[in-house]
Amino acid sequence: MRAVILNGAFAGDETCAAIEMELATALAGVGCEVECLRLRELAIAYCKGCFGCWVKTPGVCPTRDDAASVTRSFVRSDLAVLVTPVVFGGYSSELKKALDRSAGIVLPFFTRINGEVHHQRRYQRYPALLAVGVVDRADQAEERTFETLVARNAINFHAPAHRVEFVRRDDAIETRRTIVARAVAGMTRPMRGAA
Amino acid sequence: MTRDRMVLLVGSAKAAGRSTSEALARYLAGRFEGGGASVTILPVNRSRRAAEDERLLAAIDTADLFMLVTPLYVDSLPYLVTRSLEITAARRERRPNQRFAALVNCGFPEAEQCRTALAILECFARHTGFIWAGGLALGGGPSIDGRPLERLGGMTRHVRAALDQAADALMRGEPIPTSAVAQLARPMMPASLYTAVANVGWRWQASRNRVHRRLKEQPYKSVVSSH
Repeated sequence: MRAVILNGAFAGDETCAAIEMELATALAGVGCEVECLRLRELAIAYCKGCFGCWVKTPGVCPTRDDAASVTRSFVRSDLAVLVTPVVFGGYSSELKKALDRSAGIVLPFFTRINGEVHHQRRYQRYPALLAVGVVDRADQAEERTFETLVARNAINFHAPAHRVEFVRRDDAIETRRTIVARAVAGMTRPMRGAA
Repeated sequence: MTRDRMVLLVGSAKAAGRSTSEALARYLAGRFEGGGASVTILPVNRSRRAAEDERLLAAIDTADLFMLVTPLYVDSLPYLVTRSLEITAARRERRPNQRFAALVNCGFPEAEQCRTALAILECFARHTGFIWAGGLALGGGPSIDGRPLERLGGMTRHVRAALDQAADALMRGEPIPTSAVAQLARPMMPASLYTAVANVGWRWQASRNRVHRRLKEQPYKSVVSSH
């Protein structure tokens, strides 16, 4: 099994750094090959909305930078893990920058999923999606928005499964580790059963 | 009498004159100016230079209404918009009675798919001390394709009517009425027609770029996991 962790933390975010390490350890512990990508350290330009990944260089963004390796890792994984501070109920700008550049993983053509229009698959398989959102304090509205966002992304990324976990910055280390372990077990158990 | 100051931020990364978001913002700006407001339209900071961030912060600082007009990217806000909101939240000088409103447009025919982005923007308003003046959503945005709304005839009649209603309410200091939200959310054409035209359009663009036989390529297939 392959897992990629996309860490959308800002500089100095020790909680996200710890979560990344604990996720990597837990995933390796269940036999995953893990790749960690700290997005702020990568050279990723923003998406210009040119649709070149659909109609000029199909499946590949015409802007050549580190986004290609992120997309490649995403597509080749069984599990994609998003680690991010929860920003107004959404992703950090660092994570968003990388995800915006991933439009090429689907086709431009439309299809219907549960009665709603979405883009067709480009590939046969896509990774399951686990999002770990870091919050400063409990905020139900933000957490519901974040959960909805991940669910919507799971549809558009054709993820076979998705899950959201929240970690508060003031959580004790053991609490955080329990959350991470629960998330990893929940996402990988079905995969290991199917293997 | 003091004129209301409106600041519109266009969230598209496309060049000036090319985006649906800008066309929508310019229409709203025209309504606001016609109502006697002073309007500033700013593009999102594509250069990411500090001076442009300062320009946005300075404009917001004196605004009665700050309104974001943005495309939907991957179910939420584009990176440049998210970045601008993060900076605004971190650095703006809070002033009482400042309002924030938003208009999100997407390439899916269903305006409903913009809902999560609007929820994020409402959270932003709450976190930053703005009064949330409401959010509008438009599906089928590429049908507008940067063109002035007035030139698009019957296709955008209900869009213009909805924006007129929203602008009038905002100029009165009221939130965007639900009737305007519902009117704007009406599709510009049936979803089946929209998707059929879009699918033809993608093939046509690909043909112009001589890649129409490669549209479904899987460049990363060789390393796709076999779970």
